[in-house]
Amino acid sequence: MFLHYIDLGWRSLRRTPVVSLLMLLAIAIGIGVTMTSLSVYHMMSVNPMPHKNDQLFAVQLRTMDQGADWWTSDNLPFQLTYQDAMNLRKGSVPFRQTAMLKTGFGVKPANPDIPPFIETARAADSDFFAMYEVPFAYGAAWDKAVDLQGEAVAVIGDELNQKLFGGGNNVGKDIVLDSVSYRIVGILKAWKLEPQIYDLNNGAWGQNEQLFIPFSLLPIQELKSWGNNNGWKYEEENTYQDKLNSEVVWLQYKVELKDKQAQQDFRDYMAGYIKEQQKLGRFKRDDAEGDIKNISQWLDYRQIVSADNKILVGLSFMFLFVCLANILSLLLAKFLKRAPEIGVRRALGASKTQVFAQHLVEVGMLGLAGGALGLLIAQLGLYLLRSGFSRYEAVAQMDLTMWLAAPTISILACLLAGCYPAWKVCRTTPALYLKTQ
Amino acid sequence: MSELKPIFNALWRSKTGALLLIVQIAVTLAIVSNAAFIIHDRVSFLNQDTGLKAEDLFRFNLYTFGKNVDIAKQQEIDETLLRAIPGVADAVVINQVPLSGSGDSTNFHLKPTPQQSRGARAAFFMADENLLNTLDVKLEDGRNFEAADVVYSQGFDKTANVLLATRSYVNELFPDGDGLGQTIYLGDNPFKIIGIIAPMKGPWLDDEQADNVALIPQVMAAPFKRVLIRTEPGRRGEVMQQVEKVLLASESERVVSRITGVDKLLLEQTSQDRLMKNMLLVLITVLLLVTALGICGLALFNVGRRTRQIGTRRALGAKKSDIVRYFLLENTLVSLIGIVLGVGLALAMSDVLMRHYSLPRLDNWFILYSLAGIYVMGVLAVYWPAQRATLISPSIATRSV
Repeated sequence: MFLHYIDLGWRSLRRTPVVSLLMLLAIAIGIGVTMTSLSVYHMMSVNPMPHKNDQLFAVQLRTMDQGADWWTSDNLPFQLTYQDAMNLRKGSVPFRQTAMLKTGFGVKPANPDIPPFIETARAADSDFFAMYEVPFAYGAAWDKAVDLQGEAVAVIGDELNQKLFGGGNNVGKDIVLDSVSYRIVGILKAWKLEPQIYDLNNGAWGQNEQLFIPFSLLPIQELKSWGNNNGWKYEEENTYQDKLNSEVVWLQYKVELKDKQAQQDFRDYMAGYIKEQQKLGRFKRDDAEGDIKNISQWLDYRQIVSADNKILVGLSFMFLFVCLANILSLLLAKFLKRAPEIGVRRALGASKTQVFAQHLVEVGMLGLAGGALGLLIAQLGLYLLRSGFSRYEAVAQMDLTMWLAAPTISILACLLAGCYPAWKVCRTTPALYLKTQ
Repeated sequence: MSELKPIFNALWRSKTGALLLIVQIAVTLAIVSNAAFIIHDRVSFLNQDTGLKAEDLFRFNLYTFGKNVDIAKQQEIDETLLRAIPGVADAVVINQVPLSGSGDSTNFHLKPTPQQSRGARAAFFMADENLLNTLDVKLEDGRNFEAADVVYSQGFDKTANVLLATRSYVNELFPDGDGLGQTIYLGDNPFKIIGIIAPMKGPWLDDEQADNVALIPQVMAAPFKRVLIRTEPGRRGEVMQQVEKVLLASESERVVSRITGVDKLLLEQTSQDRLMKNMLLVLITVLLLVTALGICGLALFNVGRRTRQIGTRRALGAKKSDIVRYFLLENTLVSLIGIVLGVGLALAMSDVLMRHYSLPRLDNWFILYSLAGIYVMGVLAVYWPAQRATLISPSIATRSV
């Protein structure tokens, strides 16, 4: 019966080619526009590590003195001072933890044919790799003892390994960073974490670092910040030690907490730390406090999806709504024009349900075709986005969810629009039309 | 107006179709007026005057990794070498690049710390006495730096004591407009305002204080520096290709990277706004097209359905123009109701956008433009079907009865 309906639907669509084409275009364009903006939104708001959402936390402290305010919604700086990062990471509450700094070096390859180049690097603790599930091809993270003493060791990414050595196991070899030799202890597999949840300060999209060194090297190598530094009061900063002692926030600190209890323990630990520091004369304010945010809270808090994107998604759905109203009125007109034919079918014994089903199948076919065409339009739209706006390369993509969402939304929308016309036509009284034939 | 009653009756008989058209027109008006307003907003943001000739400026990073390089001395050599390249108008080693989207800003105050006083934030550019000429910004008042004003340092251990600033910044600190010649403080370091420069933008366009710019005659020796070069018009490309070779020939323990035109940096910085503008333009165009096609398609159907009625009217003496007018009037009636609803919807939508996404309030003119546009579009869309209706022969009425 279903096949028969499909056949009937196909005939009916072909009988009014102009109107069928108009409806097809309307749904395809509606789906195309909606899917383009929805895909960007979807990719932007994606949580890259949903399975660790309630385990990885960003740590914040309200360190400013009374009267100094931050511009964030909860009056907390995004980053930490060196003192606080160092003090907090001494604690043993978190299952894993890492303090981090975005830095960089001039790399001078051993091979004289390769000219020196600049490489962004991340100073982190050895736990970083396990926390963010960074896969190793060779070797492993440096020893935990290095996190305390500082030693010139490095973990390099697959791409950097290719560039420097042409690939292969090069653990134990040296890499020269700013004229200092670092021993390579680990080499990563090709790896991507987007949005870059461990540091969203300088854009969420873009390449992950290819070079990792111990955070404990900060005071030893006087590693410069290649990221954001924010102060809330004027401080003399003539030496690197001045910077380490300052109230400038410039470091990221993330912890892995296994369960609710651990989260509470860590909050208590922070509260205790703040009290202790207040005794030492810091955090001179009434509402000094700390906070931890999990991955999705952090992404939301840092507004990774811009207001523009949300507006576009909203407008696109309104657009789709107009397309549907359009289709609905065309369908209504088309079905009603066919009332005499339906009258005959009803007189010959077709039930109301059958007539209703027949028309819904026709509408569903329209939805499927419109969805497919809409996908093509969305692909074109995303392609134009990628080629015109390099910043959108990573997010102007469709994943499987979106590929499936397009025809689903399309068919559902069409069925929704088709219900009323189909119901209207199946109520046709046979007698009325038999008379006039 | 006697025609209105039959039109109204006809619409009433197929009220679902009319209602759908009304809803379509209303939503279309709401989307178009809001989107057009956002587009207008972005276009004026994108077309604002930066005060700089970005197409003649380019920048690059210079990172010295050699530990034995005398960076301070090398910077002087570099500037001399760069300024000697044919086609270069001027060049400076600088702390940050205008229009680049990243940089430093700080608060200057009227009194030294720890005294409390009025302060205002400015993006600050630090380079030698060639800075103003490299930026190619006019001096409006006072005097420019001289070589004697420039302070060479390793860090902030010593600071320059004069600066140039834009008028908008000086006036923020001195609302009476008597800022020239006054002294302001960064911490407890005094800076005398010796000159007012023509308006220019700092590193960020979307900054609330994008016009607050200060130029400081100070050169800090650091491993990581930026270089800003202005070339003679049309010669930027050739100069960009030479800088790396020239600099590395002088000292090889360093890396030149990100040689980029300032106009390209500006494009990168505004990509979100350009994207929004383009997406909305496409959205409006396609939406109007879909709505127009919908109106047209429905009118065609109505013509077909009313063939007999139209034939009868023609037979009873209605002129072709009467038939066209009938359809236009019908469309006007539907459009008017849709537009009234649409104005309300547009305002409600603007309210939501304003509250949740801090967009500016919708300018009523945009609603007016949009509704006029949508009405004209509706008339055009209905015109062709109406023309076809006039082709219906009066004999149709007699034939089938």
